[in-house]
Amino acid sequence: MIEMEDIRKIYRTQHVETHALTNFTITIDSGEFVSVMGPSGSGKTTLLNIAGLLDTFEHGRYILDGEDVSRLSDRQMSAIRNQKIGFIFQSFNLIPDLNVFDNVDVPLRYRGMGGTERRAAINKALEVVGLSARTKHYPAQLSGGQQQRVAVARALVGSPSLILADEPTGNLDSAMANDVMDLLETINNMETTVVMVTHEPELAARAQRRLHLLDGRLIDLEAEDRPTPLVARAGGAPSARV
Amino acid sequence: MFAYMIRIALLSLRRNPVLSSLLIAAIALGVAVSTAFVTVYYIYSGDPIPTKSDQLYYVQMDNWNPDRPYSRRRPEIPPDQITYRDMQGIMTSDIPTYQSGMFVASLTIHPPEAEQRPFRERVRMCFADFFPMFEVPFAFGGGWGRESDRGPEPVVVIDAATNDRLFGGGDSVGKTVRIEDRPFTVTGVLAPWRPSPRFYDTHTGASQVPEGVYMPFEFARVFEVYTAGNLLIWTDLEDSAPFEEFLASEAIWIQMWAQLDTTEQRQAYSDFLEAYVMEQKKLGRFGRPLNNRLLDVMQWLEDQEVVPEEATGMLVISLLFLLVCAVNLIGILLGKFLARAPEVGVRRALGASRSVVFLQHIVECELVGVIGGVIGLGLSALCLGVINRLLDNSGQFGLDLPMVAAGIGLSLVAGLVAGLYPAWRICRVPPAIHLKLQ
Repeated sequence: MIEMEDIRKIYRTQHVETHALTNFTITIDSGEFVSVMGPSGSGKTTLLNIAGLLDTFEHGRYILDGEDVSRLSDRQMSAIRNQKIGFIFQSFNLIPDLNVFDNVDVPLRYRGMGGTERRAAINKALEVVGLSARTKHYPAQLSGGQQQRVAVARALVGSPSLILADEPTGNLDSAMANDVMDLLETINNMETTVVMVTHEPELAARAQRRLHLLDGRLIDLEAEDRPTPLVARAGGAPSARV
Repeated sequence: MFAYMIRIALLSLRRNPVLSSLLIAAIALGVAVSTAFVTVYYIYSGDPIPTKSDQLYYVQMDNWNPDRPYSRRRPEIPPDQITYRDMQGIMTSDIPTYQSGMFVASLTIHPPEAEQRPFRERVRMCFADFFPMFEVPFAFGGGWGRESDRGPEPVVVIDAATNDRLFGGGDSVGKTVRIEDRPFTVTGVLAPWRPSPRFYDTHTGASQVPEGVYMPFEFARVFEVYTAGNLLIWTDLEDSAPFEEFLASEAIWIQMWAQLDTTEQRQAYSDFLEAYVMEQKKLGRFGRPLNNRLLDVMQWLEDQEVVPEEATGMLVISLLFLLVCAVNLIGILLGKFLARAPEVGVRRALGASRSVVFLQHIVECELVGVIGGVIGLGLSALCLGVINRLLDNSGQFGLDLPMVAAGIGLSLVAGLVAGLYPAWRICRVPPAIHLKLQ
């Protein structure tokens, strides 16, 4: 699903250069549920942004679902985001003026789907997250857990092959967090690849594979448990392969 | 997608009604002022008779003082009216399809009802050809025949307002109206007719509405009535001179129009005028070099500088005012849009491309423009009402379909001017940086 090879991402300000990802190489197969952990500033979100085509990188190659997406136009990247990728954010990022139905509708609008088809997809997604009865509610009228479920429905509605979740439980209590994790597992069981950034080891443990980042490099803490050994790449960064 | 964009734009406007009202008010004000002055300019500069403006010719001949030109500013031009005797002389030609000398007089109309008081009315003294030549529309009846010019027979054409005033409206053909001391029979009642500008007589104001009453020219002789318009003379003529002496003088006070449909007709008429002047020269008149002119309607309006400099100046100022309104909105819109960057980040993540985000924000600006434009058009109509009242020409300036379209067009341009930079800025914001922060 995801093949990144020797990716390098540097944030530059007038005086400082920050290496967010350094010679980063990774492969994630279709249908995997991967968690990404690491201290703040280790490059987790940068990884997700690059994986989600929300950010570009200076060097390297990125193959998504068999297609080289390293150097695409904005229009091409937007189309791929819309059709292949679903995002779930820590702060839910729902649009406050839109009700639940319309929030879930947003990605489908950019896909140019017809009304009937859209309605069916939205109702199905809301059914999966258990919010069919709340279509007319606005985000402010929902609890945090419900808002995140709406966000999950929005990520799910376009039937993407990849879900990128950036600390999806970060703003939730443990019960709600478990609900959301259950949902992510349900989605993963539908053959959707899930990559989740989290700070919580117990949630990360629910993924099939755990990745650890430090200073923009990948550290494989599961090396001992893994049947496939690490392959040292030319860039010097360790990489993981399932 | 476009309908969705309009819906999102409306939601955005509702989110901050005070700010949105401010944006709309700025556009409305700019559109109101600019549309009003565009309309004034349009009325002055438009083609008043587009179907045949290139077939109608204003006739000029230079009978002026041999020692000095008619105009010191433009010595090459002949006088812009002609004498009675020259009108009579050239009206003998059968070359033009239609032709008419004319002037405006002020005569007293006596309403049929005894309790109604007599009133003064502007009366156009003209020939039968006036009506078909200028395609004057009739609600009832028509103009008089050429034979009525010769008598002259006591016939009149009245406009709708005069018909309402005298007879309470309706078909008044055949009814009698007393003008000065004579009864006249109504042959026709005009349908609404307002050539803008009133090209056929620019001397009494091109923005004036047409006269209320029309009668055969030769009643000028019967009533011994002088023009209520411009009269200029370079020879000596005593105020107490008999009317017939005035008619035979070099006084210029008549506008002369001829319809010449073909190039051959125009050439023949031009030759005829030249021959006429050469003949007059033999009689001791026309001491200046031969200088006849035939100008079609648009040439004549340009020559007469019908579009006042003030109208052009106000047009430019009002458009600049609209531009200033739009430019002032750039900052407000930029702040409004950038405050929404996190939402834009989400939309970008969900599949909106830069161009879609740009278009979305342009649609919002254009929505502001159109709402402001509609309000502005309403204000513009009020503004034109005030201008009409100031110029005392009862509704000359009004919004017609092209002007409404122009107003909406201006509001769209203003929306675009105001929105281009903010929309460009917001679509360039990298989506990733706001997703974490929202």
